[in-house]
Amino acid sequence: MSSRAPVTPSDYIDKVTGRTEYITDVEVPGMVHGKILRSPHPHAVIKSIDASAALEMPGVIAVLTGADVSALNNHWGLYLKDRPVIAIDRVRYVGEPVAMVAADDERIAEEALEAISVDYEPIPFVTDAAEAIEASAPLVHETHDTVKDFYFKGEAKPVAGTNIFQHYNYEHGDVEKAFAQADRCFEAKYEFPMVFHYAMEPHCVIASFDSGGLTVWSCGQSPTAVQKVLSRVFGMPLARIRIISPNVGGGFGGKASVKIDPLVAALAWKTHRPVRVCLSISESMLTARRLSASIRVKTGVRNDGAILAKSVSVLMNGGAYADTGPAVAVKAANRAIGPYRIPNLKLESTAAYTNTVPGAAFRSIGGPQAVWASESQMDEIAEALGLDPLEFRNRNLLRRGEHVRPDLRPIDVEMGEAMDIATREMAQLRASDSGSETHRGTALGISDPGIMAVSSVLLRLKIDGSVAVVSNSVEIGQGVREVLRRLAAEQLKQPVDAVEVLTPDTAIAPFDWGTGASRSSLMMGLAIADAAADIRRQIAEIAAIVLEVDPQSVELCEGGIAIGNRKKTFSELLHAYFGIDSGELVSIGRVSPHSNAGKLTQAPLFWETAAGQCAVAVDEDTGEISVRHYVSVADVGRVVNRAAAEGQDEGATIMGLGHTLSEELVYQDGQPVNATMIDYHVPTIDEVPENFVTVLIESGTGPGPGGMRGMGEGAILPVAPAVANALAEGYGIRIRKLPLTPERVWRAIRERKER
Amino acid sequence: MFLIPFTHHRPVSLDEVFETLAKHGDDAAVYAGGTELLLALKARVLRYEHLIDLKRVKELSGIRIEGEELVIGALATHHQIANNDLVQAHVPAYAALSEEIANIRVRAAGTLAGNLAFAEPHSDPPSLLSAMDATLILVSSGGKRGVPMREFILSDFTTAREENELIAEIRIPVTAAGEGFAYRKFGHLERPAVGASAGCVMRGGKPSYRLWFGAIGDRPLHAKEIEDAIAGVPAASLPEALPKVARDFASGISTASDLHGSADYKQHLASVLIQRALAAACEAAQSRGAANA
Ligand SMILES: Cc1cc2nc3c(=O)[nH]c(=O)nc-3n(C[C@H](O)[C@H](O)[C@H](O)COP(=O)(O)OP(=O)(O)OC[C@H]3O[C@@H](n4cnc5c(N)ncnc54)[C@H](O)[C@@H]3O)c2cc1C
Repeated sequence: MSSRAPVTPSDYIDKVTGRTEYITDVEVPGMVHGKILRSPHPHAVIKSIDASAALEMPGVIAVLTGADVSALNNHWGLYLKDRPVIAIDRVRYVGEPVAMVAADDERIAEEALEAISVDYEPIPFVTDAAEAIEASAPLVHETHDTVKDFYFKGEAKPVAGTNIFQHYNYEHGDVEKAFAQADRCFEAKYEFPMVFHYAMEPHCVIASFDSGGLTVWSCGQSPTAVQKVLSRVFGMPLARIRIISPNVGGGFGGKASVKIDPLVAALAWKTHRPVRVCLSISESMLTARRLSASIRVKTGVRNDGAILAKSVSVLMNGGAYADTGPAVAVKAANRAIGPYRIPNLKLESTAAYTNTVPGAAFRSIGGPQAVWASESQMDEIAEALGLDPLEFRNRNLLRRGEHVRPDLRPIDVEMGEAMDIATREMAQLRASDSGSETHRGTALGISDPGIMAVSSVLLRLKIDGSVAVVSNSVEIGQGVREVLRRLAAEQLKQPVDAVEVLTPDTAIAPFDWGTGASRSSLMMGLAIADAAADIRRQIAEIAAIVLEVDPQSVELCEGGIAIGNRKKTFSELLHAYFGIDSGELVSIGRVSPHSNAGKLTQAPLFWETAAGQCAVAVDEDTGEISVRHYVSVADVGRVVNRAAAEGQDEGATIMGLGHTLSEELVYQDGQPVNATMIDYHVPTIDEVPENFVTVLIESGTGPGPGGMRGMGEGAILPVAPAVANALAEGYGIRIRKLPLTPERVWRAIRERKER
Repeated sequence: MFLIPFTHHRPVSLDEVFETLAKHGDDAAVYAGGTELLLALKARVLRYEHLIDLKRVKELSGIRIEGEELVIGALATHHQIANNDLVQAHVPAYAALSEEIANIRVRAAGTLAGNLAFAEPHSDPPSLLSAMDATLILVSSGGKRGVPMREFILSDFTTAREENELIAEIRIPVTAAGEGFAYRKFGHLERPAVGASAGCVMRGGKPSYRLWFGAIGDRPLHAKEIEDAIAGVPAASLPEALPKVARDFASGISTASDLHGSADYKQHLASVLIQRALAAACEAAQSRGAANA
């Protein structure tokens, strides 16, 4: 039971002692190694590829190129079927896979890459989203092949003959009229950079074809999406494709939906051998990144601070392939609304192809981009109206039960409470800080998790009272296995130690939509509750038969059942039932939009929120920002695994400090010029605030067992605008472009002084 | 990428090193920590068929005092230097610099000699060692010679060292009573964008100053014009005397805009950092004077 759950989750010891198995540790008999030759050009026609010298090298088994995949259904995608398994005739970004070598070991494979010669004819390219949507821009894709309800609900809305692969509009009220009636209107554009996920484990996949079908050890966050795409590419039934998901060393969206699995499987298909491909971190940087965004926000207010109307226009740089960009673009618009009453609202979002690394889902898709813009502007408006930024927010805050948008679920948390807690905690931190002066900044973020309520789980109650949880939720460092373990123990009233959570394997674990969008604890929690109810029903029926008792009177207790004062172990009960002291009960738990009497149909399932407050000090001569204190507050409904939940909150915040302070993938002349971990700076312990407080509110109001809601993505939302707002408050500068590098801060301060 | 296969040599004496070098010529390179060389080999920007590991060569190890000089053997790592009692006592500013180089993994393996031999411009040690007027002792089968640090680095990745020479040791004059040094750097990436080193030397109650910049150009840069402009100015008057000359000098430094920052920002940083370094150096000189008095 959760009250007796260990404080240290069981997986931590294995992780810190190096015992945890990741894909890179997996050895498949007969396995060979693949390496990828990547395009040096942002946009080029492949005129010819000569791999003959490579094929002659000892130890080289095969070379895969675009010519090989013509036998396959060779383009795939979850929204747009725009991505070739491997480049065919054309490359669209620097880093795109062009050829792949399979060899006896990685070293030989890598040597062989140098022996492949590719004849390219460079063609005009575009790396900037604003340029990409101009009429004269070179087209990254000539046609748009959309798929509907394939894995995501709905479909993308590309614009024919342009680079626009997604366009989204929403409106309620009459924005233009309200702007005309407003006392003041504020309009500005905010820029958010391309940033890299930096999961510590680069992408790693093993694929193997045999008479049983295709088996893939995948680092993917969505095993069943990988299964589905592979089934289409290779024209194989789903049941012949098996995806195993060992521990994954972080994903953050960079391993969501499908990434390198089709490529690795194609090489295995060609060589008839199991193939392992492990990318380097620099290669992972060329595999996926967050969509950069330029967001224009216009807000009309009355002089008393009431917001009358808001219009948001988002332009996202989606890279060479749409990937999950269409979903990101929609969310970037929605997440710019904020937890405020906005009677007239207009949202518009456009995502464009460019010749850059494909944009992809990244922790709170579109959220940090959107909240960066809207929460920066909230402080700008407050300042112009002469209002305290907290007071200005308070005047417009939605209370629990009010609608963000009439068509969405009403907001289910009290943002005012979270903001007050953040303010109180920050006041304490600053009061006990005897160092140099700091300046405070605040931001609030809300997001509508894009959760597909499609999940299932198996519970297997063994005769000795031990329990196996069989699920496709991927342990990606977030601690999901420990959460599922505790929830299963709680639902079945068994000690946590009695429960094991198995490695996800689509051959035995039932369908689950995927590990992402803050959904796994919640969705699997609901599925486990459903499965546990079925186990209880089975047990009661068996007790009725074996013990001749009223099934209604049977309760689960530790190690067995209780009927009033009478207790039986599972073994005693099931031995009598099966006739032997062996056997198990199996149950399946399912979640669909129709579960819980249809309560899961309305989107979003819950609101994921965060209130962030920081205290910063700036070295005005260098422009260096030091974030000294940070407070992160969120209503998560209920905390199941405290160490991991706080870890998620802290991790999301520190990750947010990356795009706030230093992270930005830079393109020059079509080339990514800083795509290495030396030139691209991810926050280290040096950047972690001296004091960091996480407050997790347990209101019990979420849709999951015990009132839990999902978490893990909220805390990243407010970081950048909170820091920018602190700069405005303390130093009189307003920077609308991330990251807030020392140079940008210094320039802003210098310009202010010159004014 | 992987290292291309190579033959690994593990000599135990300098003679053996020179023999191996003589035999393989351009195909061979020595290394100590490997933190630069192995990365360059993996990135395939350098290729060698023979790698000579220096770590067992006793003549190159150790940190000691000889007369008025601190002698740092070529195998001393940044971490050893930072935490060595002799360095901390006799050249405290250099110990402090060492503690802030890179990260602990690089400091634990990387050597000062390797850093200087590689001559990557975005490095910390060269400007301070120039301000301190350190000397590098280069050895070859033909003998040894001393090269002042100030003349050792010619441009990026290029030094006065001949192919057949090794750095045997780095000799740093002990910071005497009434002297103080300090180093200040700044950058938001892995390596420094700009470094500034300052020395304050009191002789007969009259101060003189030594000022050098690092990282901003392709080799350490002597700020002689600033030194001349403030020569003899007492430390207490520097806040008035220094800023303008520092700014003027810095704005003339030739540097390019790159990932570390725009040229004008780096010039500004140079001016800020040299003022900070000099203030710290003067303070160190004062306390060192007091301690030894
Ligand atoms: C991630 C990272 C961050 C870094 N950050 C910084 C920083 O912030 N500031 C900074 O100053 N430096 C920084 N460095 C550089 C670091 O100081 C050097 O990598 C290290 O000192 C090199 O020493 P080594 O023994 O590993 O050299 P090796 O890699 O072993 O050798 C480097 C070069 O020197 C030659 N060499 C080595 N020893 C001798 C010798 N005795 N005689 C002649 N030639 C020799 C080798 O042939 C080779 O060409 C960083 C390095 C890395 C990898």
